[in-house]
Amino acid sequence: MPCCCFLPLASLSHLLQVRPEDVLEKALHMVETSEKNYLYKCDQLKSIRQDLTVQRIQNELTVKVYETHARFALQAGDLSEYNQCQSQLTRLYGEGIAGCHLEFSAYNLLCVMLHSNNKRDLLSSMASLSKEARLDETVKHALAVHSAVSSGNYVMFFKLYKKAPGLNSCLMDLYVERMRFEAIKCMSKSYRPTVPVRYVTRVLGFTRVDVLCEANVADGLEECEEWLKAHGAVLTVDENSGELQIDTKVSSASLYMPEPDNAVSHGDASLAVDDFLARAS
Amino acid sequence: TPTPSAASGTPTPPSRRLLGSAFLQEFRNWETPWAMEAMHMVALEIRLLAEKADRELVMSGKNPDKLQAAGSFLMKVFGALAVKGPKRVGALYVTCQLFKIYFRLGTVNLCRSVIRSIETARNFDFEDFPVKDKVTYMYYTGRLEVFNENFLVADQKLTYALMHCNPQSESNLRKILKFLIPVKLSIGVLPRRTLLEKYNLLEYADIVTSLRRGDLRLLKQALDRHEDQLLKCGVYLVLEKLELQVYRRLVKKIHIIQREKEPSKAHQIKLEVLVKTLQWLGITMDVDEVECIMACLIYKNLIKGYFAHKSKVLVLSKQDPFPKLNGKPV
Repeated sequence: MPCCCFLPLASLSHLLQVRPEDVLEKALHMVETSEKNYLYKCDQLKSIRQDLTVQRIQNELTVKVYETHARFALQAGDLSEYNQCQSQLTRLYGEGIAGCHLEFSAYNLLCVMLHSNNKRDLLSSMASLSKEARLDETVKHALAVHSAVSSGNYVMFFKLYKKAPGLNSCLMDLYVERMRFEAIKCMSKSYRPTVPVRYVTRVLGFTRVDVLCEANVADGLEECEEWLKAHGAVLTVDENSGELQIDTKVSSASLYMPEPDNAVSHGDASLAVDDFLARAS
Repeated sequence: TPTPSAASGTPTPPSRRLLGSAFLQEFRNWETPWAMEAMHMVALEIRLLAEKADRELVMSGKNPDKLQAAGSFLMKVFGALAVKGPKRVGALYVTCQLFKIYFRLGTVNLCRSVIRSIETARNFDFEDFPVKDKVTYMYYTGRLEVFNENFLVADQKLTYALMHCNPQSESNLRKILKFLIPVKLSIGVLPRRTLLEKYNLLEYADIVTSLRRGDLRLLKQALDRHEDQLLKCGVYLVLEKLELQVYRRLVKKIHIIQREKEPSKAHQIKLEVLVKTLQWLGITMDVDEVECIMACLIYKNLIKGYFAHKSKVLVLSKQDPFPKLNGKPV
């Protein structure tokens, strides 16, 4: 079966290789079950999308392709690709084509509330939710996240983060850093004289899911301590318990948001450019 | 001039617009603004016709683009008025027509360029404009500030509109109050029930009550019940944020009760007391969440004091622990 690379449409030889719908369906399945990395999958999906567009196929298969691509993009932290797919899906759902429209309503809501500062868009996204959507678990979760962010309730935010349905956690991922920083600013101003690092580890989502495992707790503590130091928090050791504490009064003057030094455009730092060039055919 | 009729199917804004364009052409050439009223009439009619046309287009399954086109035309009219000389006093009226179009279309970001022209260009002296245009202008720009959550500015503008509005025009007063009340609530000013009754704004009644009582459940119920309406006019997000003020009121009440019972220890509120009170009000929140809310209240200056984590006590400042919002938004 020919495996097309994503080429500009001007290429005539590409036009001769456009695959029919049943072949595209198989191609989609292959991508879904492939073990290769995101860049490879993205490439394959773009090629499938192009073949669908050229043949003007706008049906449930098209929706499935965009949904699959959107989900992979979310998992890889590729927000711009996700947004492209989301806008196509909004259009296709609007034309009545069946798909996971409730799941994507939730993602859309989270995206608007966490990644854009546009209140009008948020209002209209919320207003356009159907009665059915408001009862859906994934949408309800997204609305609860909105409520937490709106009042600055970091405890609620990280609780919701831990038990996020679908890929809600991927969208929340990109906001975690900001929420943690807001939380630590809040705690530095309001707690006196100190607040235990163990407590911060727990409420700001540094512990792994299985808290009964001591190793997980220790890992979480270490990660939290590193994070706090990287953001200017001043730590002391409690004389009686020997436990690590944040000196809140001193910290409130020294907190800062560091420059992201490992920021990658598509969000997944583990995918290097060389990986793309070396992909298997 | 032909008038649109439902029978003919397609209304005739194009012909109206041709008329409008022709009139505008001539208007530009006339030195004095003697035909200003007529120009305004043209502007108004174009907008109303375009709205009607769009409604009919939507009903017949077509793309409603007439209002957008009306907007473009009115920008040209605005351009003809934004000149030195006596014509400029007519510009605010056209600006308001443009606002109405942009709000209707949801393209409020387009308001920015006209606002900039009015507020920064040297051609205009705001005081020269007729009062009714100024009121309308302040109403719309005030609403924009609500969207941007600039509550102090929104308060100024909407209050201006309220003060200068024709006191006989109850429906206009109601429109202004619909947006002014949420703004006032955000800065800690509560309206009397008689005001809400007089202007039929009872959707805010329960919200005001919840703020007075510190009743979080009532706030959530009120927001739920009127959700669609509040989302549609865009004040939902503003009202949602009142949650923290409701918590503050609750803490204040607990403080008052403690002061009566045992004044020397009144400034210390145990976390378990807060959790129990909330439970009693039908709200289940665990200790972590309640502690977080207390931290937020302190952080946002709604409460003066600190939280002692080890002893799980909220320690209020002995002086003025619940500072007045004083017009400063949360």
